[in-house]
Amino acid sequence: MAPDIRFDWTGTVGSVVLGATKTEGGTRKISYRIGGGSTLPFLSGNASSPSPLVALEICDTSEYWSPVIRNYCGDLVDDIHAWSQAAETLYGADLVRLYLTSTKERNFSDIVSVKTSIEDVLSATGLPLIIEGSNEPKIDSEVFLKCGEAGEGERLLLGTAEASRYRSIAAAALAYNHSLIAQSPIDINLAKQLNILLREIGVPRDHIVIDPYTGTLGYGFEYSYSAIERIRFSALKGDADLAMPMISSATDTLTVKEVREADPKWQDEIAVQWEFYTGIAAAVAGAEIICVRHPRTIPMLRKAFLDLKTGTAGPAGLT
Amino acid sequence: MTDVKIAVTSGEKRLQNRILSISTPRAYDETAYHLPVSYALTGLAVHDRATAQEAYARSGNNTIVAAECLLSEQFAIGGKEHAPYTGFIGDTVLRKLGYSLVDGSILGLALVIGTPDNAGLAAGICRELQEKYMLTFLSGGVVPALSGTGVKLGLEYRLIPLGSTNTHGIHFADIVARVAMMFGGVTPGDSGRLLKYATERAKAIVIVFSGLSDEDIALVDAMRALGFPIVSLGPYSGDAWITAIPEDAVRVGMEAKGIRVTVTAIPIPMACSPAFEGKSIRKEEMYVEFGGGRSPAFELLRMRRPGEIKDGQITVIGPEIDAMTEGSANPLGIIIEVAGKSMKKDYEPILERRIHNFVNYGEGSWHVAQRDLIWVRISKEAVAKGVRIEHIGKLLAGKFRMDFSALLDAVAVTLITDEKKVLAAKDEAEKVYEERDARIQGMRDEDVDTYYSCTLCQTFAPNHVCVITPERPALCGAISWLDGKIAYEISPAGPNQPVKKGALINAQNGEYEGVNRFVKKTSHGEIDRCSLYSVMEYPMTCCGCFECIALMLPEVNGIMVVNREFKGVTPSGMTFSTLAGTIGGGAQTPGFAGISKNYILSDRFLQGEGGIERLVWMPIQLKDELKNRLQKKLSEQGHADLFEKIADETKAATIEELTTYLAGVDHPALSMKPLV
Repeated sequence: MAPDIRFDWTGTVGSVVLGATKTEGGTRKISYRIGGGSTLPFLSGNASSPSPLVALEICDTSEYWSPVIRNYCGDLVDDIHAWSQAAETLYGADLVRLYLTSTKERNFSDIVSVKTSIEDVLSATGLPLIIEGSNEPKIDSEVFLKCGEAGEGERLLLGTAEASRYRSIAAAALAYNHSLIAQSPIDINLAKQLNILLREIGVPRDHIVIDPYTGTLGYGFEYSYSAIERIRFSALKGDADLAMPMISSATDTLTVKEVREADPKWQDEIAVQWEFYTGIAAAVAGAEIICVRHPRTIPMLRKAFLDLKTGTAGPAGLT
Repeated sequence: MTDVKIAVTSGEKRLQNRILSISTPRAYDETAYHLPVSYALTGLAVHDRATAQEAYARSGNNTIVAAECLLSEQFAIGGKEHAPYTGFIGDTVLRKLGYSLVDGSILGLALVIGTPDNAGLAAGICRELQEKYMLTFLSGGVVPALSGTGVKLGLEYRLIPLGSTNTHGIHFADIVARVAMMFGGVTPGDSGRLLKYATERAKAIVIVFSGLSDEDIALVDAMRALGFPIVSLGPYSGDAWITAIPEDAVRVGMEAKGIRVTVTAIPIPMACSPAFEGKSIRKEEMYVEFGGGRSPAFELLRMRRPGEIKDGQITVIGPEIDAMTEGSANPLGIIIEVAGKSMKKDYEPILERRIHNFVNYGEGSWHVAQRDLIWVRISKEAVAKGVRIEHIGKLLAGKFRMDFSALLDAVAVTLITDEKKVLAAKDEAEKVYEERDARIQGMRDEDVDTYYSCTLCQTFAPNHVCVITPERPALCGAISWLDGKIAYEISPAGPNQPVKKGALINAQNGEYEGVNRFVKKTSHGEIDRCSLYSVMEYPMTCCGCFECIALMLPEVNGIMVVNREFKGVTPSGMTFSTLAGTIGGGAQTPGFAGISKNYILSDRFLQGEGGIERLVWMPIQLKDELKNRLQKKLSEQGHADLFEKIADETKAATIEELTTYLAGVDHPALSMKPLV
């Protein structure tokens, strides 16, 4: 007999739809319904615990990206069209996460480019998109309006709302029916508070993905693990304000000392391993979307998830 | 004068008749919402005579529905009006407008309708609406009236001319109806939710000039059902509409709807941030000081009626800093007057306490204590940069408006530095303090059925839940039951939540079903039971902020209390900090409780263990601090001699000495029921 893997949990993680296919009013080849788990992701038994998705992160101005990626991907990083196409066809990602890093430029004013970049990526790949908009509060209003418009009908996941600035992104999500990422600095209470703020402004729960903020392995990851774990436990214990899927992106992974100063011969390998172990740990803690920047990490994570679910690596293999 | 009530009745009747003979209403293009008000209220897509009449009937003969159908017929026959009139606004534009509303770049919506008697005043109203980030729609005679005044019209100026007749004002309602469906998740046909959304979420006001027909009046009046305040500047009488003078119309309308202009920056010559809160100003860094026993000083926050004070007004009565000698102590009175639609008199002390934080936010200003005990310093550096008394006022006014934007519409600050006037105002202030104290004093736990929680500390003690009752303040001593109640009213999703006490489980220990249920849920399932008055059985959890620790000493069958300030070793063999490390972090530790100093003076103190007779030891400093009040309390309870029997470190430093001492004074705890 299988052990009871629901313990005294009564709650279920809410679900969020990412992407819209033609029949759903968009142009994506596939759409996902993430969340819905009623236990931890890799416990084996009858309770539902879907496997995480893997997103490849790309950006529209590659000078902000780690040289490790440029070395591996080559000129792709200067062409978001080809890069996002490769994410789907060559690298096998589930999602593409586009960072509009161009908006970081001083006195950025080319708001129209936001729209063209998003449209470009939408045309290049059939995967659902995560769009990271402005990094500058002054232009939030214009940038997120454009993001919302450009992706109308596509059920984008828009990032990133924080307690101090969430109105524009919430407005874009509401106006154009997208979901959004709600980020809090490794603190369950602040995560909950932001969700309440979003609810008060009118964003439905099934349009919110929590980002508990992920520090990379060796640089505070344990705090993130604990935050992810506690948010998930609260959801399973019935706290509806925390019962949303989570996204984890350890954006510093490729710039930590161990990777940056690695022997050039091994740098690529170390980068992938660093990303892989951060990602797999976040997935075990409960994150539904794991974001990576190195394409080689994608198949490794996917295989690991499968092994944990069905193979010999996880508890399923012990029975 | 037109009586609004009579006009509405007659207008409704006429509209009803006209609906009977309606022939060609039709839905607008550029929208997925047909005739939006009719669609939102009834779920019916009006496209011809039959559906129009059906929608009108189903809406309970709603005037807006009638007017909407009739205007659409006019549009179907006559087509679009010429520029500058926009007529019906399509969904694409509306989505952007809605975005700006949610986003906060526009604060609210206004409809200005009718024909103004004075074009200049109308222009003034429109400019004020623009300055206050309102998106304004115009219909009727007001549009041509503005033409010679230099006011520019168009979406980019946030002034939109809907149409040449008053009837075009209907588009204002169809915009709100669509915003509710697009952004508020209101399903077409769910009229209850539509009205709720329009009333609670849509920040919309209507300003009415002269020249409205009975039908127009009926239409405008029907918008009251959507929660829009109607501000009348025309010859209309009746209670339903708010009468105002043109200069006040915008303010009155925005206040009635609770729309607030937010403050984002405080124009003073010093930095202002919580980052400076912990920074003190030492004597040698100080330019001038106020209070602290060196000169008379006080602070007071009072509520005023809206309109009684001018927002942002700073008044300094007496000499400015320039006229004060460097290094001197000067008199100071800080009087803050606030007004706001949802402000209540009960909030005064809570807001007043924030003066402390706000003054400390200033890089060169420092503040301690409260009421007539305050002590304020301003640094040499700040004065050199140009900081004056006036700027402290600006800082306070700005921070109050920023941090309590939902509560306050206006804040005015008066700073008095003239000694005679400070003394006179201080006498007045002291009367207010007394009145406030009287309000919480004498409140008993059994007088209320709701307590308040505090989970502010869950950031570092994740499962900690404080339950605050009238007779048991929070263990940090900073939040009373009344404070909790008010904090909840101000911020309903905040850390202070109401706790229904529910059925009684154990009267002596103060255990209630409702409290247990709340604590279980809020401690994330960790704590099943919580007794309010017991140290021994299911005591409340501790975060780390407790002013004192009460703990059991089994050797003497009593309870000792040690306060945070005491640095020595207690008879338990442990120091305060060792004890604090043992019991904090949100754990429930039988035999130990974190408490506030004032709780020692409560009739509930140690009730579960048989009462204050259990108290065997306190540091002498705490004893002195509580002396007068504790002696009074003990006399009232018939234990006048107990105060002297409570040991301190000068009488008993170890458990052995304590045992001997208690036996010597015949302490009542020795003969009480065994604790364990």
